[in-house]
Amino acid sequence: MLKYIVRRSLQAIPVLFGITIVCFMLMHLQPGNPADRFAQNPKITQAQIEAFKHRWGLDEPLPAQYCMWMGACGDKGVLNALPGGNINIAGVSIALPGGDNGVLHGDFGYSIFDGSPVTTIIANRALPTLILAGTAYVIWITIAFLAGVYAAVKRYGKFDSALTIFNYVGYSLPTFWLGLMLIAFLSVPPLKIFPASGMWDARTVPIFGTGDYWTFVGSHPLDALTDLARHLALPVLTLVLVSVAGDSRFIRSSMLDALNQDYVKTARAKGLSERRVIFRHALRNALLPVITNVGLEIPFLFSGAIATETIFSWPGMGRQFVESVGHNDYTVLMGILLITSVVVVFGNLFADIMYAVVDPRVKYD
Amino acid sequence: MDPRIEDADLTGAGGPSPDYEVALVSLNQWQLAWRRFKKHRLALIGACIFVGMIAIAVFGPIFLPYDPTFVPVPDSLFCPGSTTQLAYSGCPPFTPGHILGTTGSLRLDLLTLVVNGARVSLLIGLGASIFSAVIGTIVGGLAGYFGGWLDNILMRIVDVMLSIPILFVIIIFAEVFGNGDWRVILIVFAVFGWQGIARLVRSLFLTLRTEVFVDAARAVGVSDVRIIFRHILPNAVSPIIVSTTLSVAGVIIGEAFVSFIGYGVNPQLTPTWGNELTAAQDFIAQGNWWWPTFPGLAIVLTVLGINFMGDGLRDALDPRSRE
Repeated sequence: MLKYIVRRSLQAIPVLFGITIVCFMLMHLQPGNPADRFAQNPKITQAQIEAFKHRWGLDEPLPAQYCMWMGACGDKGVLNALPGGNINIAGVSIALPGGDNGVLHGDFGYSIFDGSPVTTIIANRALPTLILAGTAYVIWITIAFLAGVYAAVKRYGKFDSALTIFNYVGYSLPTFWLGLMLIAFLSVPPLKIFPASGMWDARTVPIFGTGDYWTFVGSHPLDALTDLARHLALPVLTLVLVSVAGDSRFIRSSMLDALNQDYVKTARAKGLSERRVIFRHALRNALLPVITNVGLEIPFLFSGAIATETIFSWPGMGRQFVESVGHNDYTVLMGILLITSVVVVFGNLFADIMYAVVDPRVKYD
Repeated sequence: MDPRIEDADLTGAGGPSPDYEVALVSLNQWQLAWRRFKKHRLALIGACIFVGMIAIAVFGPIFLPYDPTFVPVPDSLFCPGSTTQLAYSGCPPFTPGHILGTTGSLRLDLLTLVVNGARVSLLIGLGASIFSAVIGTIVGGLAGYFGGWLDNILMRIVDVMLSIPILFVIIIFAEVFGNGDWRVILIVFAVFGWQGIARLVRSLFLTLRTEVFVDAARAVGVSDVRIIFRHILPNAVSPIIVSTTLSVAGVIIGEAFVSFIGYGVNPQLTPTWGNELTAAQDFIAQGNWWWPTFPGLAIVLTVLGINFMGDGLRDALDPRSRE
């Protein structure tokens, strides 16, 4: 078992490596380079531009630049993959040879657009995304699970047919358009029920994430929660409607598979109550593939529902990405792309390992 | 009953010979698949919707009085037949001359936009899917057939592409290389859409290459290329068709989103269902619900049709996968 986990983890390494290469290449596909901003400036000589390029390693060959961007090589290829700085061992200060910038050190550089560190930007956007996607995730998994299992147990019943139709339609809805429709019909007169965009009401609540906001949450917890819930309503509804369609279909077929197994027939033949057959025998086995599927959807919590966040102006990672594309802010784009991809790799890893843990029939060789 | 003898002339009266064997109608696998497909009601409805949409895309613009990029000169502040509805916010459906209403701002005819948008939306959906199916089949086929280091390298590339949120990459590429030209968007979707099919084709090839008929072909000296294209590929074609069909739906939705956020096809050059919606959000607050509704309904209807059709094709082409 441990061997399987280690082996499966090792398989992720080349993929992670490949992801960084793709991100680096994407950054270099962009037209121009950082020295171009001096091209129109008559006071800057060609020699100064060369010196600038040399200073930042822009005259190095691509592999060396990649190595430096990763933080594995310092200037001129000096190895600095280890953490740098000084450590204190038994009163003796030892200088470590490594560096502290580069991707391997958790440093994605600075935003081209506003100069703040990419990690800060992403950290600010991660919480709203987690709140939105997390809420939607819990709701849609619960609904999809209940609906899928019920439809499978009462197969070909009225509910099953209704769910099938709902699934076909829900599966065909573009998320962004569903969002537009909800805004058009639920947030403008005559049915002005929910706010159309944003995460907080700017007239009554301070900006989200600031110190003022948390003080407000502390002093008026109920107001803050109601405000957040009102703003969450439409984006969550959008995500839930679209995602329940795919997941309930999956859970239904998984449950149907389990109900058709011989051990379920045996359980029925033994005269167990239908309730016990369904919950103790079929459901437990139907859960196995569902767990994998649920694990595979975890990365979504981070990459964010890009369409939903865009439509509802939700200040999350997806919206940040769309904004950064507009600003040609490549460092931020690469940071988001890299982090979400890494989360996907770990999500897959987690799902595989979970599956091996819950299902003893999986062979670990 | 064996479907082969369903149409057989058992009386023997009409045939040239009374012999039962001769009266047998032999059907190839495509004819058999078509029979199963015909029995799938939803699939037929889906196919009708899809073919209908293509017909509308091809012939529709001929019958419409307006040009999609033609901006009418406003002759009145208000919509025709109304004294309260401002034409600037768009005229509601069933306005004389505009059965689906008009957009806000430029007052374009929505029916014209939806019909013309079908052209490029469907073209990108179909073109990119077929293109990526070809790439995916070649990559997956090479990996599955030859195995070894080639398989390792190609599949690691596929792993990487499946790990990166590909819509993000598509948006970046569309923004960098796209100048609003729909052909660039088509290629971007094709180049980043083949990884699923590659994995599918690889697994099919892995099983098929161990079949006896492949050994037989190799034993008589058939070349690798011929084995791949004449012996293995025809056996792998059904899942490829199903997967490609379903991916058309995905590309149509993806293109609509990328164009909607303004990094896809330029609305001033070519209308698509996605870019027609871009400005619609600004007019929702003025009560214009028809503008965002109709182009989106066209997407939903098309995607629904394709999904019905894909499910039908799966049942028809691969009877073992039926529940």
